[in-house]
This record gives sequence, C-alpha cells and structure tokens, in this order.
Amino acid sequence: MKYIIVGCGRVGSELAYTLYTRGHTVAIIDHVASAFNNLHPDFRGRMIEGEALNKDVLLRAGIETADGLATVTNSDTLNSVVAHIGRTAYHIPRVVVRNYDPDWRPLHEIFEHQIVSSSSWGAQRIEEMLAHPDMHTIYSAGNGEVEIYQFIVSHKFDGQKLGDIIPNSNCSPVSLTRAGKAILPDCNTIVHENDIVLVSATLEGIQALRQQLI
Amino acid sequence: MFVVIVGGGRTGTQLASILILQKHQVHIIERRPDVLARIHRELPTEIIYEGNYSDPLVLEQAGVKNADVVAACTVNDADNLAVCFLARKRYNTPRTIARVNNPRNAWLFDEKFHVDVALNNAEIMARMIEEEMSMGDMITLLKLRRGDYSLVEEKVPPKARLIGMAIKDLALPEECVIAAIIRHGKVVVPRGITVFEAGDEVLAITSHDGAIQLMELFSPPNPV
Repeated sequence: MKYIIVGCGRVGSELAYTLYTRGHTVAIIDHVASAFNNLHPDFRGRMIEGEALNKDVLLRAGIETADGLATVTNSDTLNSVVAHIGRTAYHIPRVVVRNYDPDWRPLHEIFEHQIVSSSSWGAQRIEEMLAHPDMHTIYSAGNGEVEIYQFIVSHKFDGQKLGDIIPNSNCSPVSLTRAGKAILPDCNTIVHENDIVLVSATLEGIQALRQQLI
Repeated sequence: MFVVIVGGGRTGTQLASILILQKHQVHIIERRPDVLARIHRELPTEIIYEGNYSDPLVLEQAGVKNADVVAACTVNDADNLAVCFLARKRYNTPRTIARVNNPRNAWLFDEKFHVDVALNNAEIMARMIEEEMSMGDMITLLKLRRGDYSLVEEKVPPKARLIGMAIKDLALPEECVIAAIIRHGKVVVPRGITVFEAGDEVLAITSHDGAIQLMELFSPPNPV
C-alpha cells in the first residue's frame, strides 16, 4: 500500500518507520528539512520538503494514487485541512488525523474526520493508573468515549447481583470470568469474590461505577 | 450588514475599522494575547471577542449564527480555510470571505472549503502593477467583482484609428462593451451606429484582455 504522512515529528517519524517495516511505500512531507533527522536511520521512503497545502508538494508525494493519508503535524487546522483535501479532492480511501490540542477537537468533528487524540487519551490512561489501579481499560472505542473496563469483585460484594453493583445507565455488562471460564452476564447474575467482570461504559458510567466500588 | 471577522492582525483590524466607519456591525475574534492587547487600543472593546474560533462557544458569543458575512483574515491559510468551512457547515453563513496568504495555496480557496470569495493580496497587487504599466492613457475607474472586469475610461486622441468608425464595425471582443461616450460634456448613449470623434471620452466595461484590444483602437493607424 502507498501511504502519505504529513508531519515528520515524533508521531510522523515513528509512523513512517512502522509502515515501512511492514512493507508499505511511504512518502513523508515536512516543511522543515531538518525534521527528517527524526526518522529512523533504516527508513527507506520518500522525504518531501515543502508546505502540505501546496498542490505540487502533494502531487510529488503521490496524493493521486495514495491508499492512505495520515496528517500528524502539531497544527490541528493544518491536519484537518490537508485531510479534507485528501478525502474530497483526491478521494483517498483511508485518512486519519492527529488531534494535537484537545481544544481543537470540535474542528475535526465538523470535518467528520477519523481522529486520534493522543493527548487526551494519554491523560485519561495516566489518571486511571494513578487513581484507580484496581480497575483498568481493556479497549477504547473511538477516542475513549466508550471503553471496556475490567474490575475484580472484592470480598465486599460477594453474593450480590451484578445489577446492584454497576450503574443502571451509561454502563452495560460484557462478560464475567470465574475460575477461567467466561459467561455472558446480565444484571441478575450473582457475583462472587475474585470474579473478573468486564463492562462497557462511558466516562460518566465509569465514574459512577468507581464511586460504587470504593 | 453584520460581519464577523476572524483574526485581529493588521488586515482584520483595518477591515474592522473601515466597516465600522461605513456603519456596518462588526465583531472580531482573536486568540493571541499580545495581539489582543494591541487591538484593544485600536477598536471598541465591545466588538472584540477573545478565544479560539474552533470553540463553538466563542463563535456563538461573537454572534456567528446571525452573521451575514464571515471574513477569515488570519495569517495562516489553513486557519482561514477551516474558518470558512466551519462557518458554512455549522452555521450556514450566507457569505464567506478568506484571505490568501501564500499565493501557492490559492487553489484551495473555493467550494472545497466553502470559500465564496478569496482575496489574494499578492495576485491583486501583481495584476494592478502590470495593468498600470501596460495601460498608457487608459484609466481604470472601478474594479468589478474581484478585479476580473473593470470600468475604464480613455479619451480619443486626434489620430486614433477608431475616429470615424461606428461601434458595430469595431469588432470588439466579447468581453468588452462600450458603456458611454462623453462628447462636449454630454453623455451620448452608445448604439451600434454611433461614430467616434476625436476628443470623445469613452467609458467601457471590459476584461483585462479586452482592454488591451480596445487600447489598440485608440492608437494611430500603423504607417503603411
């Protein structure tokens, strides 16, 4: 596959190398030539110095035939705008945008881009590991709007219904594992100490659950 | 008209001042603290809105929902494109205007980002300079739309080749039309059969190429 990456900072250079090692053809664009020093010495791909809004630069990177485009600069507007060009003017099938500053997220939503918000996602994970080590995220959907959490039933809740532990709204049970065997639980399932429970919840749901488990 | 200007740099501030003088309602949005400090000295405080235009709250406080025009005047082309897109997409703004900073980015300033009017400073300047250099005695009275067409005026010199010719015989290009002739201080409404005289002041609406061909007609015939 042929991929174009816009922005050769930490994310861009890492992504370029990863794609390259998986056997893809990569062209990476940055307006500062020294940014290409961030690339892994073994990286073999095209480095294009220039402004990503310049049509000639995009054409040189092969935008007309690209299978995918990732815009990962530290400017949210530039990322959104270049991604929009890729999607609408060149019909690139897969386009992913990096959301750098969480304040700019609404802009990406207006453009209806697929985004990765590493700053807010990272902050959420770190907060969780610091404050709630007993509970952790197994899977994040979207950019963390809905997540699947795992917790272990403590002695305090032994013999109670699952529905009495987890909140009624913004949270639904996914699985219950007891002695290595998983079942599909509902709210009436009785839990025992050391059962491993997975729930799918929004941020509000998980906050309510944390209150409950304290 | 109610105009929301995004970007309080020199262009945005100047535009706001001109529009206020013309009694338009103006709000201006800026996020850089150092720039804000300056524009607070130049513009009335109540029209300045602080914050990031990507924040719906900031835009809505600035009244973008009721704006007739949103003008994106920042120094960053990506920002200007995003402002126009957002204004049309989320608030259905009737008219969007964007400043083009880098002429190489001009290809993006169209319906792709819902930009109705793109103002490309460098290109406008270049064209005006070129015209000033090439137009000789022809005076541009008015630029129409974005400068593609102009209202021009030229006086028919004594030896011009169009003297004695009727308008219908001039073979004017399609994008050039004689709008009026001022003869002895009176306006003559031009018809196909109107014949030019020396000293006529000719007003024409024309494209740049049309003006060049028109100018030919004002010059003396080539010596045989």
